[in-house]
Amino acid sequence: MRPFRRKRDDVVARLEPAEAGILGLLLDQLEQLLTADADDVDGDPVVARLLPAGHRTDPEIAADYRELTEAALRSGKTDDLAAVRASLPATGGEVRLDPDQAGAWLRTTNDLRLALGARIGVTEETEPPEDPTGEEGQQLAVYYWLTALQGSLVDAVAAGRDGRR
Amino acid sequence: MAGPLAPTRTPETTVEETADLDRPWVTIVWNDPVNLMTYVTHVLRELFGYDEPTATTLMLQVHHDGKAVVSSGPRERMEHDTSRLHAYGLWATYQQDA
Repeated sequence: MRPFRRKRDDVVARLEPAEAGILGLLLDQLEQLLTADADDVDGDPVVARLLPAGHRTDPEIAADYRELTEAALRSGKTDDLAAVRASLPATGGEVRLDPDQAGAWLRTTNDLRLALGARIGVTEETEPPEDPTGEEGQQLAVYYWLTALQGSLVDAVAAGRDGRR
Repeated sequence: MAGPLAPTRTPETTVEETADLDRPWVTIVWNDPVNLMTYVTHVLRELFGYDEPTATTLMLQVHHDGKAVVSSGPRERMEHDTSRLHAYGLWATYQQDA
């Protein structure tokens, strides 16, 4: 991977073929979760983290909030996901994003990290895997790869905003 | 984005200290082990128009104290602010301030 850098109004990165493949698979998995029947994913920690309660202690307010906002949140996330898929070179190569696409990538890579983090059980103490083989090591390695990708994107987008001032 | 002369807070959303009594609902961002500090700062600037020092202070408050009030106002606006934060994956809730 060559991390995101700013080029005029765009941000540009380069992905290896294997990285583009992994990102594509993660997008598919995220889409399945976001479009699943509510009953099938009831209590799933990943869905609970992606669509959290609006109120901590009052179930009535939390239910009101969910009724008001959940459909729009779901469709916003799936729209972002589709925008990322459309701008991801399936076999790797340059990723060039305009500001709207960069916003979709920021939110979706964050959702992917939230999903993986909830699945693996990431805490403040979690560290990169010493042994990136085995299922947990691989998942952690992907999580930290996504962290590097998203981190570079945040920095590139923020640099653009400061540069415009 | 807001330019250097723009107010650091949008008219509808002010931080907690100035608005406890007359604006009793607040939106809170909670600490989360996944969200990057730079990302949280970016989102607070983007959604609320905070300048960088204000957004950074709020982000650090989330990180160190476990939570921070990021906006306050009428209930409907806090619902809206919470859903905008959820769209960006921040862990947010709203409540009537004590």
